[in-house]
Amino acid sequence: MNALITISVLAVLVLYLGLYKANKALLPVTLLGLAVALFFTINHWNVFTGPTFNDMMSYDNFAVAFSGITITSTMLILLLSKGYFEKISDHVAEYYSIILFSLAGILVMVSYHNMTMLFIGIEIMSVSLYILAGIRKQDFASNEAALKYFLMGAFSTGFLLFGVALIYGAAHSFDLEAIKMHLETNLQTGQAISPLFYTGVVLMAVGMAFKVGAAPFHFWTPDVYEGSPSLITAFMSTVVKTAGFAAFLRLFATCFYPLHDFWMPVILVITIITLFAGNITALYQNNFKRMLAWSSISHAGYMLFAIVSLGSEASYGVFVYAIAYSAASIIAFAGLVLMQANTGSDSFDSFNGLGRKNPFLAFTLTVAMLSLAGIPLTAGFIGKFIMFSNALSSMHTWLVVLAVINAVISIFYYFRVIVAMYFKDAERAELEIPLNFKVVLAISVVATILIGIWPAFLPNVI
Amino acid sequence: MAVFYLVAFLSIFFSLLVIFSKNPVHSVIYLIITFFTFTIHYVLLNAQFLAIVNFIVYMGAIMVLFLYVLMLLDLNVNSEPVKSSLMKIAGIVAGMCLLVTLAGALKGSGFLPAGAHEEVVQRPNLGLVKNLGQVLFHDFLLPFEVSSLLLLSAMVGAVLLAKREPREI
Repeated sequence: MNALITISVLAVLVLYLGLYKANKALLPVTLLGLAVALFFTINHWNVFTGPTFNDMMSYDNFAVAFSGITITSTMLILLLSKGYFEKISDHVAEYYSIILFSLAGILVMVSYHNMTMLFIGIEIMSVSLYILAGIRKQDFASNEAALKYFLMGAFSTGFLLFGVALIYGAAHSFDLEAIKMHLETNLQTGQAISPLFYTGVVLMAVGMAFKVGAAPFHFWTPDVYEGSPSLITAFMSTVVKTAGFAAFLRLFATCFYPLHDFWMPVILVITIITLFAGNITALYQNNFKRMLAWSSISHAGYMLFAIVSLGSEASYGVFVYAIAYSAASIIAFAGLVLMQANTGSDSFDSFNGLGRKNPFLAFTLTVAMLSLAGIPLTAGFIGKFIMFSNALSSMHTWLVVLAVINAVISIFYYFRVIVAMYFKDAERAELEIPLNFKVVLAISVVATILIGIWPAFLPNVI
Repeated sequence: MAVFYLVAFLSIFFSLLVIFSKNPVHSVIYLIITFFTFTIHYVLLNAQFLAIVNFIVYMGAIMVLFLYVLMLLDLNVNSEPVKSSLMKIAGIVAGMCLLVTLAGALKGSGFLPAGAHEEVVQRPNLGLVKNLGQVLFHDFLLPFEVSSLLLLSAMVGAVLLAKREPREI
């Protein structure tokens, strides 16, 4: 709770800093505040006693772990933002504060214990993102992204809310524990569970799949990710996606778990469609940013594995995968931002010859691509490994076979970047990499390789 | 009961007028009257809060928005596109689907868990503002407070998007 309060107050404070034109102080104050929030979050580790605030929130280790990742990723992304928003407009303070509001919503999303909190958290996050997607007011792509995201998001919220209402109608409660109790007692006594409940579960699954961008509800993703400013896309595809999965997992793993046999096939089908749609379409992209958008859809598919095969390792799997994916994506987007700032282009060809001129950037991008593809000794491999072994232990053998085929497909398009950087020559000037980018790239690469070599370094969530 | 039948008749009458009136502005005004009859229904059902919200949000805010959009669009009979028969058929199919769904829902209200109806009957004061306030400011205090963040971020965002930029990008 302290973290949530800190971030909310910080957002208002940043607005005031903007009011008094203290633009130099914005970034340091924001980072400092986030560090304080991170400290408060970590302080909650292993002190969970039960849901608080009339059972609205539960700050268990799951919540702490995911709050930690999201706050850290936000800090890394904000570090990249030095001088970025100034190019878009003069109202820099508002951008920071909206990102912070969005993060506050995310903290609610990962630690809710009541469906009203889930809904409010998702809405705070989404409303902020609709605005962030459209902050390039003169750019048609950005306008399109904002409008599309808003319409699709409002639509999916409708699904989610309808699901919540139906579940309330069947179970007479918004509380996750009470709903689970309702299911368990009904299943034990052999009483029929109301059809309203089943409809509600499916509607909520659809709503959540929209939010995490899983196929067949992914159509907004590529356009929104491509149209938004790159840094905002980085925020959306790392922090927001992680939070979406945390919320998804908490809902299905704790609350709807007794109905696992009912909803598992639904999620299974969504997973398979997501994997194929994401990977196969990513193959045909010539634009690095759009490729990242489609690859983020395919990664949503891998993360859905945890929900299909709920086991003891499910939360840990999503945790590791989210860290691996966030770290690699931050590197990729940092590279993209640099490339766009210097060459104004984001096609694969603009990476030609980067290996010779900017060995450090090329190396970090290579590590990121290897991690995203799931090559051993990177964090991405560990993430995929935990997901797959989890799925195998719950007898989803052919799902793993399909996923491995997809991983092989994905290697192809990730390697296009590496090939462009090292094996294609082009006349180019050396990119100038500011210090803050170097720091972020170094931190992300170290995290990626460290987890890849020594996964036990991360604490087990459950 | 007499009041109920009168109000119910008025609701249906004005809803039909909404559909059949040629002028969109008249349509919107009839819609306002329809919503007003709904408000009376809520009052009759002892649901004060819903009545007030319906009155303020639907009749006030949303209808003003409707009228505003109509004004901006400048709709009149001449500029209105002629609806093709395909559209009409699609409309009939959609309407019938809704009818079937509603009929099914009514028929299936036996699905409601036992006790759902009685709860309303036993506690006729369920919808009073006082009871709602007690739930909202005790059990659901945190969501209530946190939604202020939602409103604040939406407000900041609206100002940010609507404000004129001094320079070109």
